[in-house]
Amino acid sequence: MAKPRELKRRIRSVQNTKKITKTMELVSTSKLKRAQDRVVGARPYAQALAEVIAQLYSPELAERFPLLRQPGQTGRGKGVRRAALLLITSNRGLCGAFNANLIREARRRLEELEKQDAHTELHLVGKKGISYFKFTKRNIASQRVDIGDRPTLDHAAELAKPLMERFSNGDLDAVDVVFAKFNSAVSTPPTTLRILPVTPPEKRRSGGREAKAAVNYILKPSAEEILEQLLPLYVQNQFYRALVETAAAEHGARRTAMKNATDAGSDMLTILQRTFNRARQAQITQELAEIVGGAEALKG
Amino acid sequence: MRVSVISAERAVFEGEAEAVVAPAYDGLVGILPRHAPFMTLLGQGVVKITNTSLGGETIRLQVAGGFLQVAYNVVRIVARSAAPVAS
Repeated sequence: MAKPRELKRRIRSVQNTKKITKTMELVSTSKLKRAQDRVVGARPYAQALAEVIAQLYSPELAERFPLLRQPGQTGRGKGVRRAALLLITSNRGLCGAFNANLIREARRRLEELEKQDAHTELHLVGKKGISYFKFTKRNIASQRVDIGDRPTLDHAAELAKPLMERFSNGDLDAVDVVFAKFNSAVSTPPTTLRILPVTPPEKRRSGGREAKAAVNYILKPSAEEILEQLLPLYVQNQFYRALVETAAAEHGARRTAMKNATDAGSDMLTILQRTFNRARQAQITQELAEIVGGAEALKG
Repeated sequence: MRVSVISAERAVFEGEAEAVVAPAYDGLVGILPRHAPFMTLLGQGVVKITNTSLGGETIRLQVAGGFLQVAYNVVRIVARSAAPVAS
């Protein structure tokens, strides 16, 4: 049986760890709330942009915009030849399988692209993804760790700009982003989204909306120029959405992981406390027996 | 008419108004109720919203980039960035 003093030490250590995980859980909960608000806050903008682009979009116009160019339409051979994959991970760990899942999804996508004979370059956001791909000695095209809990539209613009330019020049045939889609705090599946070429958003189908789509707008300066301005904004916003959703998902994952850790700590404490009590009781019983035995011997 | 101002990060303003002046790409445009369906690019500048629900008070928002859309008495200003002007 373990010595009571050792058990006491372990109990204290588990108690301290539990305090830390409990605090991290609380911190993540409040950060999650704020990140969630940002996800929800970004929705009307994305929706408005998508609606307008859907309204203005027509296949004839599409050919004039490099951002809408589908691979294989340019006559330089079919399919995707050069692709870029952007993986968004968190900077910090202790969030369960969150980063591992994202990395797995990215690797799956890389394999898929390479099977299509596409030369794929890797762009990384977040320390966790970077350290993994450094470990596997893969070539990394770009990396950054300065986007934290609060991604801004400027961050998204910085990411989007070089990729959009190179796509427009024809240096890239496709740009994919792997991020954690934020369905809810507990459902954040790693997701791959093809950001370039832009897939024109579909028009809403519900009756009232369709009537709206048929309105003849006075367009200034022209549908073409409006589209030209809005498409980059739309792409930027997709990057922004990926960043914001991943940030929110990270906090959700950390909250769950820390809650599990705290619960496991509580279970462990109960067992340890019980073992400790038993050991203490055994010691007392033994001492009593010795005293009684000794007294008996003296009487003898 | 209904007016909403949406920035990339959140919905900045939502409410009734009787006049809107916005900086389009080539100059200011004024929108009154029952304006024809209209869509234009935004430049940089201050959007002025004359608000009935707040007793005729004028709301000023600094906006940059994006577009303005009018249809069915609903004005939608979707800007890359939008923030209240400090009065």
